[in-house]
Amino acid sequence: MNYRSLTEAEIGALVSQGCFADNWSDISVKEQFSARNIHNTRFDGKITLGVFSGSIETDQGIGEKCGIYSSCIRNCEIDDNVYISDVRNLTNYLIEENVVIENAGSLTTGDESTFGNGTSIDVLNEGGGRELQIFDRLSSQIAYLAVLYRHDQQFSSSLSAIISDYCETKKRNHGRIESGARIQDTLIIRDVNIGSHARISGINLLEEGTIISCKEAPAIIGEGVIAKKFIILSGSKVDSGTIIDKSFVGQSVKMGKQYSAENSLFFANCEAFHGEGCSVFAGPYTVTHHKSTLMIASLFSFFNAGSGTNQSNHMYKLGPVHQGILERGSKTGSFAYLLLPCHIGAFTVVMGKHYVNFDSSDFPFSYISEEKGKSELTPAMNLFTVGTRRDIDKWPIRDRRRDPDKLDLIHFDLFNPYIVGKIINGINILNELGEKTDKKQDYINYKGINIHRLLLKTTRKYYEMALKLYIGQEIVRRILDLDNNSGITDLRNMLTAQGTDGTGKWVEICGLFSPASKIDDLVLSVKTFKIRSIDELNENLTSIYNNYNKYAWIWCSNLIRQQTGDNPENIPIDSLIQIITDWKTNAIKLNNMILKDAEKEFDSGSKLGFGIDGDVETRDLDFQAVRGVYNNNKFVTNLQKESKEIEVKADRLISILGRCK
Amino acid sequence: MEREEIKNRIKKVIAKVLEIDESEISDNANFSFDLGASSFQSIRLVAAFQEEFNIEMDEEKSLEVQTVSEAVDFISTYIT
Repeated sequence: MNYRSLTEAEIGALVSQGCFADNWSDISVKEQFSARNIHNTRFDGKITLGVFSGSIETDQGIGEKCGIYSSCIRNCEIDDNVYISDVRNLTNYLIEENVVIENAGSLTTGDESTFGNGTSIDVLNEGGGRELQIFDRLSSQIAYLAVLYRHDQQFSSSLSAIISDYCETKKRNHGRIESGARIQDTLIIRDVNIGSHARISGINLLEEGTIISCKEAPAIIGEGVIAKKFIILSGSKVDSGTIIDKSFVGQSVKMGKQYSAENSLFFANCEAFHGEGCSVFAGPYTVTHHKSTLMIASLFSFFNAGSGTNQSNHMYKLGPVHQGILERGSKTGSFAYLLLPCHIGAFTVVMGKHYVNFDSSDFPFSYISEEKGKSELTPAMNLFTVGTRRDIDKWPIRDRRRDPDKLDLIHFDLFNPYIVGKIINGINILNELGEKTDKKQDYINYKGINIHRLLLKTTRKYYEMALKLYIGQEIVRRILDLDNNSGITDLRNMLTAQGTDGTGKWVEICGLFSPASKIDDLVLSVKTFKIRSIDELNENLTSIYNNYNKYAWIWCSNLIRQQTGDNPENIPIDSLIQIITDWKTNAIKLNNMILKDAEKEFDSGSKLGFGIDGDVETRDLDFQAVRGVYNNNKFVTNLQKESKEIEVKADRLISILGRCK
Repeated sequence: MEREEIKNRIKKVIAKVLEIDESEISDNANFSFDLGASSFQSIRLVAAFQEEFNIEMDEEKSLEVQTVSEAVDFISTYIT
């Protein structure tokens, strides 16, 4: 774009409109520039101005004439059709077209800034040792590898170098406010890049940060926010007195109601209100809504914190150095307390206070409760609760991310090679404990937590149900397209797994299920400089994500071979029919157990407090009016419908397979 | 095994698992409302009944049992 100097006539017009400049020759303007819409403004330093014509709508829906009014501008490049009004100090900024800045204190950039990129935060271990440099392309997967793979120092330093290089590219002596952004009624914004279509209003202080935003997913930063050394990504809403210090807020996160976060990471779709986060690694869908809830020094994902949830990472010995791992889908009940370090298995509910360190990672879907001051584990119980099923259904629906470029890679499958691998571990451990435990013994302590001996056999059966369900579900998923014209060759083709990628151990990289071997390959590529940039790293992770179904089937095929002695494509038809029959039986049984749990929500215990001044009939009518009836409950009817569909699906496939014999 | 014997053994198991006095357990007592059994204790009760009578109960159906007398009926189907 060509710029020219102001003409004498234009300078005259500007002066007559109350404008002032130390040196008018420092101002360059676009060819079509008109001085008409610039009033009462002081210009200092090098300035470029675009063309201000037409009007622009502010957040209040008021159409304002584009231009610059009653402001002080220093060293800024200002593109076309902006509305800048009552800005006391706008210094060192590039302002793209269609930006509104109105009633603002100061927006300034100092000598040089990376705008929050490269800020080192002490995540997970408050005492340090797992430092992470945050940046505006950080995903939950990269963060996981950077924070948790410290056993491999070479990888760690190579990855750190990649991140540092990326952050260095962000260094500028000008901040940028991208097209369509709206900044209104703000106090201090210092060294902050503001993305396209971001909405910033009523903030107190934003300092050293980047706000990524786009038209599809504008970032919204609202009243009373104080944020220092931060990254906030697209679609996120941070408002109502939130205090952020050295923290990363991922895509479509909601944060507000005076939440305070320090040295923490919050990835896609997290929600944080009222409470406090300190050195927290909050993976996707971590939710904390209540006052007095502290989340500290722990890894969470798909987590729901009950009110008053608390953890201790400080034993008053060598400092706040303890960490917690709460795997995907965990929950804490009100006032649940955990003494760190501890490791909680996936989809586990923690209730009560726990004053011992334990590791329940081999027992997914468990309940951890406090019985007479001791921590007890009830394995597998959360397999058949309404809560688990509702969570599984709601997470994909509640993915609020509208940015076309989604950074966190998230798999939602409940039963997958990682979780089923854990279930198999659980079965083996329960079996082993059952065999070696004397009947006179009431409790067994396993990795720090007590399991009642009576539960060993019963809960193992629950896990076995889940295992049968998984195997059947994976086979059914692959042979659904069979029809009456299909033959044995079609069946074999559908069940043949291609390749060997996916066998062996699986891991969950904060939302992404992956064969461990694929992550090992990626780690090696980083160490050997085959992967040299954040983009290449993201491409590699995306490739693993996209191949999930293929890898998962290879893993499942291997499991089927271990269980039956045959690869799926070679299983005798009768065995295949048995697997599908088992799937039908167990899937429907599990649904019925969940329905039984749902039924409790309608029993007389749930009606306590209803019909407040009346008799039993009043109570029932009041309850019905507020909560409805079991048989019409949407969750209940959907699950009943699903069971019928399972039956129809299984019977159809069994019938077709019968003809293939 | 006589129904009365099954009932008495069931009550002994309940008393032990829920840590209550056997005399507090009426035939029609509801495990949850009358005897205060939590969800965890319900699972433990199922496990204890299985061990006491050396039976394997259906996971789904065992969760449907709400009262002592229902437990007697249900367990009887596995024994007699």
